[in-house]
Amino acid sequence: MLRASVAAEAVGIPSATLVCESFMTLAKAASQGLGFPNIAVAPVRGHPGLQSKEVLQQNVRELTLDGVLNALFKTPAMVTVGGEPGARDIICSGSFEAVNEYFIKHELSDGLPIVPPTVEKVEAFLKYTERQADEVLGVMLPDNRAATVWSVAVNGVMAGCRPEYMPVLIAAVEAMVDHDYGVEHSGNTPGGDNLIVLNGPIIKELGFNYTQGVMRDGFQANTSVGRFWRLYLRNVAGFLPHKNDKATFGNTWRVVVAENEDVAAKIGWPPNCADFGFAAGCNALSVGRYTGGNHISSVSGATPEELLPYIADAVVRQYSWQIMFSVGQGYDTLRPLLLLSPIIAETIAAGGWSKQKFREELFRQARMPAQEFERILRDWTQKPTWNLTEEHAAGRIPKIFHESGDPQRLVPLVWRPDDFQVVVTGDLGRNSIYVFAHNGVLGFPVAKEIKLPKNWKALRGERG
Amino acid sequence: MTDSKYNQYAALWPRGPRQTKVKPLAKRLATLEGKTVAWIWDYVFRGNEVFEQLEESLRERYPGVKFLHWDQFGNTHGSDERNVVANLPQKLRELGADAVVSGMGC
Repeated sequence: MLRASVAAEAVGIPSATLVCESFMTLAKAASQGLGFPNIAVAPVRGHPGLQSKEVLQQNVRELTLDGVLNALFKTPAMVTVGGEPGARDIICSGSFEAVNEYFIKHELSDGLPIVPPTVEKVEAFLKYTERQADEVLGVMLPDNRAATVWSVAVNGVMAGCRPEYMPVLIAAVEAMVDHDYGVEHSGNTPGGDNLIVLNGPIIKELGFNYTQGVMRDGFQANTSVGRFWRLYLRNVAGFLPHKNDKATFGNTWRVVVAENEDVAAKIGWPPNCADFGFAAGCNALSVGRYTGGNHISSVSGATPEELLPYIADAVVRQYSWQIMFSVGQGYDTLRPLLLLSPIIAETIAAGGWSKQKFREELFRQARMPAQEFERILRDWTQKPTWNLTEEHAAGRIPKIFHESGDPQRLVPLVWRPDDFQVVVTGDLGRNSIYVFAHNGVLGFPVAKEIKLPKNWKALRGERG
Repeated sequence: MTDSKYNQYAALWPRGPRQTKVKPLAKRLATLEGKTVAWIWDYVFRGNEVFEQLEESLRERYPGVKFLHWDQFGNTHGSDERNVVANLPQKLRELGADAVVSGMGC
């Protein structure tokens, strides 16, 4: 909303942005990054989603109307944005405790103790990349700050990463700044968090857990790189709770999930990175944002045909309002993610199913009645105009969503089989899966190669 | 026994440099009489109903005010956002908009 208003202001057209009262702090914080810190907003009382038509109309007349007129008629006082330290400035000196107190007080920490980012530690990280320290990987809203290689190292130190994780951290930030990922949405109200999926020989080389408890903290590489992502979102993108991060509930950051490539190779399934165009054996990571997920326990059956109905049903049950990323706010941007424990993937493959065949069958079975699909879309934000018949007639969705007018016909969650992300990982001997509810265009999956410096082996040797 | 006060650290600034320069807002209007207001919507939270009520109230005060319906601009949130926002300045000019009301930030 603010971004649209700013586009108008920039060409000389005054704007009024309608903002719910509880979003005023967010609007103020976001307006700075957009370059219009004094942009005027008009308040909306409470939340329209919980008001009768009469109450909503009354609130608009009594409060919002004046706000709109004020915004369009009165020139707000100019606001200046204060100066900030430079990238290499020392912002505090002292003991471990004193540094941590400073970082917490100035909202530079996630609340856990950080490793003080000293020049020596940052320089140790920079040895593991051929990129220049001041190179800008991208610029991120809402704060509109440059994501530099230097700041990657600083936040990597703070998160408790080892210097040799630096190539992974750079790839992660390259994903974060990728326009397709949509980092600017990371403070939206569903409060989803990202998941990094790792592939390549670097998994073993850096000691990432890729077996039992793969989503559990307790493994330095998985845990600290996961923490790094959230710290970087705070310190560089600018997502701070009670300011630009408006998560209703929020999630804690997720540890990195590494794929079990030994099992994937054994059953002839391409690794996750191959689905993003990277060759098997390449060091790469993918990142998507998920509003939640669920462990689906004890998937039982001796054949893929016996396993699939339970899996497909579990996938459908993870999706409610998120289907609007398939048809609605985000056409064709829903990418569900499934983690299959190795023994499940092996059983499916033993039945002669390739990974692609598994996805095709999942696409065929993970469906819901069309009238249920439409009901969810209509209930979500009370918008009455979405239905699959009109969407198909307008050419906005494929025929598979409207093969007939039967309200009981089954429609898929996504547009095509390849939209399902499938990763083999977790406990070698347990027959369970995990299904993530994807956040659509607000964290669309992207993947980046992890580029090692030419002297990687020598550097690793140095550490003995 | 370890006394951590003897371990001293000089800690660096962890944030990135801001890239934004503060820009001036557009000149405000003196009246809406004879002006054209564009409704810009992110297609959620009953913005269509809010716009309808605002339109009714504004017409009472400024009988000569005109409005541009939100469906002329597209959805400012979701998969079309970047294109819609990028095309907004040109579209506003083409349609003769004098003011914009954008919602819903909720």
